[in-house]
Amino acid sequence: MKQKRFGFYLRIYMKILAQDLKSKMSYRADFIISTIGMIFTNIAGFVSFWILFRNFPSIHGWSYYEMLFLYGFSLISLTPVQCFLDNNWSLRIYVYSGDFIKYCFRPINLFFYYQSEVFDIKGLGQLAFGIGTLIYSWSKIGLGFTPLMLLKVIVFLLTASLIMMALQNASAGTCFWIQNSFYVMDLVLKFKDYARYPITIFSPVFRFIFTFIMPIAFIAYYPSLVILRPDAVPILSWLSPLVGCLFFWLSYKFWMFGAMKYSGTGS
Amino acid sequence: MAAMIQIKNVTKEFKVLNRREGLKGSLKDLFSRDYKYIRAVDNISMDIEQGEIIGYLGPNGAGKSTTIKMMTGVLEPTSGEILVDGHIPYQNRTKYAQEIGVVFGQRSQLWWALPLVESFKLLKDIYQVSDADYESMLNLYQSLVDIEPLLHKPVRQMSLGQRTLSDILAAFLHNPKIVFLDEPTIGLDVSMKAKIRTLINALNKEKNTTVILTTHDMGDVDALCKRIVIIDKGKMLYNNDIEHLKGFFGSYRTLKIGIDGNLKQQAESIQKELPDFSVSADEEWVSILVDEEKSKVMEVLNQLQKSYKIRDMQLEEISTEDVIKKIYEEGVS
Amino acid sequence: MRLKKYLTFTRAGMMESLQFRLAAAVMFIGNLLYLIVVYFLWKAIYASAGTDVVNGMTFTDTLIYLVLATALFGFMEMYTVWEMGRNIQSGKIVLDLLKPMEYRRYLFWTFSGTFVTQFLFTFLPTFIIVGIVTHGAIPLGKNLLYFVISVILAVLINYSIDFFVGTICLFTESIWGINIMKQVIVLLLSGATIPIAFFPEQLKTIVYYLPFQSIYNAPLTLLLNKDPKPGTVFIILGTQLIWCIVMTILSKLFWKVSLRQITVNGG
Repeated sequence: MKQKRFGFYLRIYMKILAQDLKSKMSYRADFIISTIGMIFTNIAGFVSFWILFRNFPSIHGWSYYEMLFLYGFSLISLTPVQCFLDNNWSLRIYVYSGDFIKYCFRPINLFFYYQSEVFDIKGLGQLAFGIGTLIYSWSKIGLGFTPLMLLKVIVFLLTASLIMMALQNASAGTCFWIQNSFYVMDLVLKFKDYARYPITIFSPVFRFIFTFIMPIAFIAYYPSLVILRPDAVPILSWLSPLVGCLFFWLSYKFWMFGAMKYSGTGS
Repeated sequence: MAAMIQIKNVTKEFKVLNRREGLKGSLKDLFSRDYKYIRAVDNISMDIEQGEIIGYLGPNGAGKSTTIKMMTGVLEPTSGEILVDGHIPYQNRTKYAQEIGVVFGQRSQLWWALPLVESFKLLKDIYQVSDADYESMLNLYQSLVDIEPLLHKPVRQMSLGQRTLSDILAAFLHNPKIVFLDEPTIGLDVSMKAKIRTLINALNKEKNTTVILTTHDMGDVDALCKRIVIIDKGKMLYNNDIEHLKGFFGSYRTLKIGIDGNLKQQAESIQKELPDFSVSADEEWVSILVDEEKSKVMEVLNQLQKSYKIRDMQLEEISTEDVIKKIYEEGVS
Repeated sequence: MRLKKYLTFTRAGMMESLQFRLAAAVMFIGNLLYLIVVYFLWKAIYASAGTDVVNGMTFTDTLIYLVLATALFGFMEMYTVWEMGRNIQSGKIVLDLLKPMEYRRYLFWTFSGTFVTQFLFTFLPTFIIVGIVTHGAIPLGKNLLYFVISVILAVLINYSIDFFVGTICLFTESIWGINIMKQVIVLLLSGATIPIAFFPEQLKTIVYYLPFQSIYNAPLTLLLNKDPKPGTVFIILGTQLIWCIVMTILSKLFWKVSLRQITVNGG
């Protein structure tokens, strides 16, 4: 029964996706410019990284390539939020104008229905960048390769991606209370850039905050340790898949709670 | 058999912020807030039978949308009960959504970038409509309106009228028991209004769908509804046949004519000529409230043309606002 | 009298932004948190470098530079490109063009309200906090005056660039792509993400011939220079002034030409 529900949603998502891509292709200029914009963003990010490490060969015992590994890891784990949940950015506009109500009358999950409307294909460019960076740094560090490592990386990437999704859901969901959630979302967006640095650089208080309250350390740092420092993997790293699922579930509940609470008030 | 929709003593209250005025007020709002309660819907009860088309009328902010939102399960009533075909709407919203179709006049629920037919196919999947039902529904649509040219047009390229039409078709696609139409003809031209009214009527007959229609337009009501419910300031003013209301109002229309000379004096002399009707004058027009039970507007016009040189004329239907005003003034038994 | 007409827009904009009480609070706290992250990151970077001065900048210099650059960004970014793009797409631009005021000027003064609130809520507190935390590392003297003049010029240059890029939206629907490209280029090449002092030599040379460094690098260099030579001040402010004039003319011209093009072809 559960299985069938999942299949049902997957089928609908694929159909919407196919249609969406078809219509996007018909706006070719927009598609090309957006893709170039995305590539620019990634190049600029990489250039900043490179300029920084020209001046400082290591940070807190993390070498250039290890930092690059973290960077690539974070790029990949930040891709799903870009691809699947981009409609969150429009949420405050729908809520403010009252148009959000139009999503409330379908016999399918509201969160799913809302998010399914937009698939942001630009995220795939970031994915390519991330994979390239990860493979390059992987080989430079000389980590070696086993199928088990590959499996670990995939599992930890997937669950790490849930963290950013959770943060974005939660920040977008605040618009059900405060109308202009843009500041909150923008704030969270800024923080994600710091997900690529080792958490050890922070003081204990902030280490705690970034681990348990705004868990950006789970986007790249903790899961990466499993590959980068296999001899001394902290317990938190092994827990990171669980943390990802938990935070995603919480953010989903928060979002839905807001949506239920809201849907009446707007005119 | 129990009614399709049963509403018993339903009340809905909202908490709203009292915003202060001016820049100083905005600054004050920053630190302290002042709330008040508004009763949007006040103790409303009604029953609606299967297959009925109900006109739900009232001025802006009367509580129409709030009632509709409660019936569609988006809002939970503060007190009272709503039962729709055995469902309590807000309790299992996702499941209940299968039973209803909703159209909000200006807000399209279709996929903006997709051709209509692709939206239909997605809805078919979402509502799990069988192939056979889907085909027969499309055939029915084709027999009622010429949808072929619309099917392959993306919704974003449609005119408002075409979009509304598409939205209505989409709302009926899964053959729901009830369809809610919120201001379906708002902002449309006369021919499109007529087209949409014919469509709603036909779908209602064909599928025996219950239709709840909120509108400002007495034309919609005349064309579609046997029964109307009027609400104002959250309270129900009227819930009965439209014939009953007509009997009470007669069938009034306002004839406005533009003539030369001092309009006040002219109005007085016309009043003498037409003792049955009330005549008044403003800056531009002399208005005559004609009761068509007594004599037709055309007859009045012909009679006046004999003695006055009429430059211009306008004909106004009685508006919802007039109806409500009149009910307030005189009451309806 | 004329100014009063414009100040009405400022006032309306301020009122609008104050209505979002929580948003204002979040904005404030968010910036604070962000600054703390910047602090720890660079502290770690300098600790690993082993020397106190890198590329002529001490840790404190770099910190003040980056923090104030972020704060400047907070109040200079008026989302002009977004606004223009949206207005063009929705057709609202037609109404704005009918207003008895040049569009370029009208838009600037509508934004000026947000500008004032942003200055009060983000820039000023940041400035004060940085001043206190660094124990008066921000020199207080003539340089403050230079800084203020420089910021005003920077705002004008930034607005002209934004308006120029926004004009492109007359030709394409891809607001996101256009905007992100602009933002990425400006942030990187203006020295807002990494001080230009850290750039490799060739890149530095290129950057000095572009208008972007006049936005962030110029005012911040003036602010941090304890005892500037009149010549240096003259060169920096002069460069800014030239760019300001050039960009204003360019953006006005581009707008005029594009508008004519569009009206002729029927956009």
